[in-house]
Amino acid sequence: MDMMVSTLQQQRAVTEQLRREAAIKRVPVSVVVSDIVKYINEHEQEDCLLVGFSSQKVNPFREKSSCTVL
Amino acid sequence: MAADTAVAASPEETLESLLREAEALKQKLEEERQKLNDVSLSCVAERLETIAFPNLKLRRMLKGHQSKVLCSDWSPDKRHIVSSSQDGKVMVWDAFTATKELTIAMPSTWVMACAYAPSGNLVAAGGLDNKVTVFPLAGGEDEPAARKRTVATHTSYMSCCLFPNTDRQILTGSGDGTCALWDVESGQLLQSFQAHAADVMALDLAPSDMGDTFVSGGCDRAVLVWDMRTGQAVQAFDTHDSDVNSVKYHPSGDSLVTGSDDSCCRLFDLRADREVARYSKESIIFGVNSVEWSVSGRLVFAGYSDYTACAWDALRGARVCVLCGHEHRVTRVQLAPDGTALSTASWDATIRIWA
Repeated sequence: MDMMVSTLQQQRAVTEQLRREAAIKRVPVSVVVSDIVKYINEHEQEDCLLVGFSSQKVNPFREKSSCTVL
Repeated sequence: MAADTAVAASPEETLESLLREAEALKQKLEEERQKLNDVSLSCVAERLETIAFPNLKLRRMLKGHQSKVLCSDWSPDKRHIVSSSQDGKVMVWDAFTATKELTIAMPSTWVMACAYAPSGNLVAAGGLDNKVTVFPLAGGEDEPAARKRTVATHTSYMSCCLFPNTDRQILTGSGDGTCALWDVESGQLLQSFQAHAADVMALDLAPSDMGDTFVSGGCDRAVLVWDMRTGQAVQAFDTHDSDVNSVKYHPSGDSLVTGSDDSCCRLFDLRADREVARYSKESIIFGVNSVEWSVSGRLVFAGYSDYTACAWDALRGARVCVLCGHEHRVTRVQLAPDGTALSTASWDATIRIWA
């Protein structure tokens, strides 16, 4: 009997989870895709690994110069 | 007896009716998701200008662990990295100079997760000990290990942890199938998150202005989005064919990328409530252990069990760069907080910095 009760409780949780998911408001893929593209376009210039560094001097991980000032 | 029959007859209460409703809901969900699938991402991306992707070069190599590096995390100061290893050690590194600054011995081997607190003054770590232990870094000559605090205990291994924008709380994922939010000071369990049917492998926090939500991925192949306050899963994505090893929010907060043992990375959009892109190739047959975004969200970085890491063009779905050099599987890829470098950690006992 305990087994049945716990199975019932588990299934209730699963069904309730699905009810919540079914109630989500959805947006068409065309809209979300254009928003993704828009976000990328707006932030492209800040993306050093995408557009590179304006000069190697601003790259904190550039190779250390072989000359050092003593 | 009569009462029992009445309960069983109530449509809300029988197992059969719940199962029937669940099936109907699943079908409805699939139909709704399909209805809004009016265009593909790669189709839109074809119309965009092509860009030249830079080649990332190896800039630093952090050597010191005796065995597999299982996790690493950048400090908010953009300079230090904490790492954890199978050798039972947690190490703090200065990534600029490639030197080790601190070694903390843990009570057990296989330290599967480590994380920096937002202040940069604490690190958390744990793994096969089923615990999360927090170590203060600042504060005098004392050994951090002497001032450690055990915050959380799970009933199985602790696979992932993060500080949710505060030093005062920690969020963990575990092999016991749960995620949990803990109070660092008191060690009290604040909220438990139960819906995964198997081990939780990965966590990520929504970008800060998105409110209190986070995402988890697990060996039940599911990706779940959680409301931190109520403890309820609010969204689920289950299209992966194997364990989900890594999840990461897009910088916009509207979508997430996942990496799985099915050797595929997938892009799920929260508002469309569905998968919108896949990043895979026939020649890639090994699992994805870790995923990360570039600052703009144009590049998806992924670390694989075939010893490589690579970058994908998130829009076109093409692989644009492969990072070779590691001599064993890549367990973790992570962007520096200012987006200027990518770190990779590997079973070859090294951490490498690429820029």
